[in-house]
Amino acid sequence: MKVLKPWLGCLISILMLFFMIVPAMASAEGSGKTIVVGLSADFAPYEFHKNIDGQDQIVGSDVEIAKRIAADMGAQLQIQDIPFDSLLPALSSGRIDMIISGMTPTEDRRKNVDFSESYYISRQVIMTRAEDKDKYASFDSLKGITIGVQKGSIQEGIAKDIEGAKLTSVDKISDVVLQLQSKRVDAAVMEGPVAEGQVANHSDLAITAAQIPNSDTEMAIAVKKGNTELLAQINSTLADLKKTDAVPKFIQEATALNSDEQTEPDNIFSIFWDYRHYYATGVQYTLLLSALGVLFGFVIGLIVALLRLSNLNVLRWIAMTYIEILRGTPMLVQLLIIHYGIAQTFHIEFSVLQSGIITLSINSSAYLAEIFRAGIQGVDRGQTEAARSLGMSYGMTLRHIIIPQAIKSVLPAIGNEFVVIIKESSIVSFIGVADLMFQAQAVRSITYSALYPLLIAAAIYFVMTFVLSKLLGMVERRWSVSDKR
Amino acid sequence: MINVKGLKKSFGKNEVLTGIDIDIAQGEVVVVIGPSGSGKSTFLRCLNLLEQPTGGEIYFEDELITARKYDIDSARRKMGMVFQHFNLFPHKTVLQNLTIAPIKVKKTDTASAQKIALDLLQTVGLADKKDAYPNQLSGGQKQRIAIARALAMQPHVMLFDEPTSALDPEMVGEVLEVMKKLAQQGMTMVIVTHEMGFAREVGDRIIFMDGGRIVEQGTPEQVFGSPSNARTQDFLSKVL
Repeated sequence: MKVLKPWLGCLISILMLFFMIVPAMASAEGSGKTIVVGLSADFAPYEFHKNIDGQDQIVGSDVEIAKRIAADMGAQLQIQDIPFDSLLPALSSGRIDMIISGMTPTEDRRKNVDFSESYYISRQVIMTRAEDKDKYASFDSLKGITIGVQKGSIQEGIAKDIEGAKLTSVDKISDVVLQLQSKRVDAAVMEGPVAEGQVANHSDLAITAAQIPNSDTEMAIAVKKGNTELLAQINSTLADLKKTDAVPKFIQEATALNSDEQTEPDNIFSIFWDYRHYYATGVQYTLLLSALGVLFGFVIGLIVALLRLSNLNVLRWIAMTYIEILRGTPMLVQLLIIHYGIAQTFHIEFSVLQSGIITLSINSSAYLAEIFRAGIQGVDRGQTEAARSLGMSYGMTLRHIIIPQAIKSVLPAIGNEFVVIIKESSIVSFIGVADLMFQAQAVRSITYSALYPLLIAAAIYFVMTFVLSKLLGMVERRWSVSDKR
Repeated sequence: MINVKGLKKSFGKNEVLTGIDIDIAQGEVVVVIGPSGSGKSTFLRCLNLLEQPTGGEIYFEDELITARKYDIDSARRKMGMVFQHFNLFPHKTVLQNLTIAPIKVKKTDTASAQKIALDLLQTVGLADKKDAYPNQLSGGQKQRIAIARALAMQPHVMLFDEPTSALDPEMVGEVLEVMKKLAQQGMTMVIVTHEMGFAREVGDRIIFMDGGRIVEQGTPEQVFGSPSNARTQDFLSKVL
């Protein structure tokens, strides 16, 4: 018990911490109703990140609309920043209550969700580099050129209809801009106000005179199919807004907010200093995720390893299947299955943080199980014989004699796994966990700097893994006192 | 104390023990000798079921330990075993090696387990090594610790499986000395060894095994002085 008790205590307290902190971090605090709005916050002026007084905030005209709806409902507003592509799955799996993200109610989308009355009609424009402004002044001139669009957006569909155009679809509007600036695309299809916002910030960009036929698009709010109560509430708020012509005002204000004081920090150190709070939050999440992932992975992995070495065929097969499936499929797929798939199929909802931790835990448990198995099998058979000859049961022998030696011998491999998890945890940014990678992307979309925010993230990842490797080396040396001769 | 009837053991098709009958009395020191591959170690390991016999019966203190439902752990508590390769627990200190089984298995409280352990370390002359780890010890010291570890469970019988075979020659003496002391105190012992001088001096009875059976047995004077079996004579002429 001397060995296990502190472990057990640690584990229990961390488990408690997990269930206390995680929901608190994931959902807004406070009592009463909460309404969760999903949006892809890279779509100025409708929704975008803005550093206000050193705090990252999601602002924009859609956010203002969301605030009105929440106020009318007497509910607390919670905003989730989700990649545009993932908004619809998030809505149908019930993770968010509505989408207000400049979304156009297309026939395809109507099959899966219900839309409100439209609250704004936008027109589409062609944005190019300033020097090419006249080159692409007509719709016909666009034939056969490369065009950048945001992935999954309505503009992607419009651009597809341009004859001979070669599309480059990227995740974020800021990436579309970078594609233009780096001459990887010749033009971009964009929402009018969005393009105006970009042109205001980037003197090397311009909007051409080209008109895209039949391209005016409506924007509406999406709710889960059949949620008529919420839909009625939304429509009544929208009707109020329409009376005062509030939406165009929101858009003007947001455009102004977006373009003010965008003095581009072109120096990597100033970017780091200006956005240090982003990175600090990101590091916290990354470390929390990795530590809990490895900790739970350690426990699950040890159990799986023991099953794997069991004399019962059934248990052995279960463990082998578990290990092989988890090692043989991409972690990203596992993450999306756990976060979206399970929520939709079984109506079990994990917060993004819980989904992230669960994925990292089970994924690393499969690798750790094999590490443990090798470690356990590597302990000399004489150890078991000696322990059993003293009257110790099989279980006692495992616990007091075999497993401590096995763990010691695999400690370097476990540390390695921790380092791997710190790096691989970056994929949880995909579902919107505010980890280091996510923050780097946020900083990118604010600063329009393609390289520096990522270089900073890379440097921080490196420092974490490097320091960790060194620390593990020290622990290992302390543990190996019994190996001294 | 130990009664063996028709003990057989095969590994696959290879029959290692072909039928062994022996009764070992309380306080008796039985030394098993014989050429390599004669089944001596297998026989010894069958006595505490580290090897599961394929036939025959073993009684320990009048209990049939080969019975299917018998809780072998309860018998093993009373049978100490010393291995050729020591098998000390490398992640535990010397003292912990001695106390872990009493504490975990017999539920002895830590203080009394440590007291017993320190007394035993005194007996084997290694009290100053109580906080050392096994890898800091010489082979002879390790084996003396291993003997003390087995004795810490206060067993009724001690099994020795070639305890000096893995030792450098200059360390054999210190281990045999400890075993001799133990025999003089009246411990029941079954010893598999190649140390003929020791067998002759300490053994109450010598068992000569060959081809998986007991070929000849008797007092040291009989077996070493006037062996009756041709194979015994042949073996002794080679080793003496």
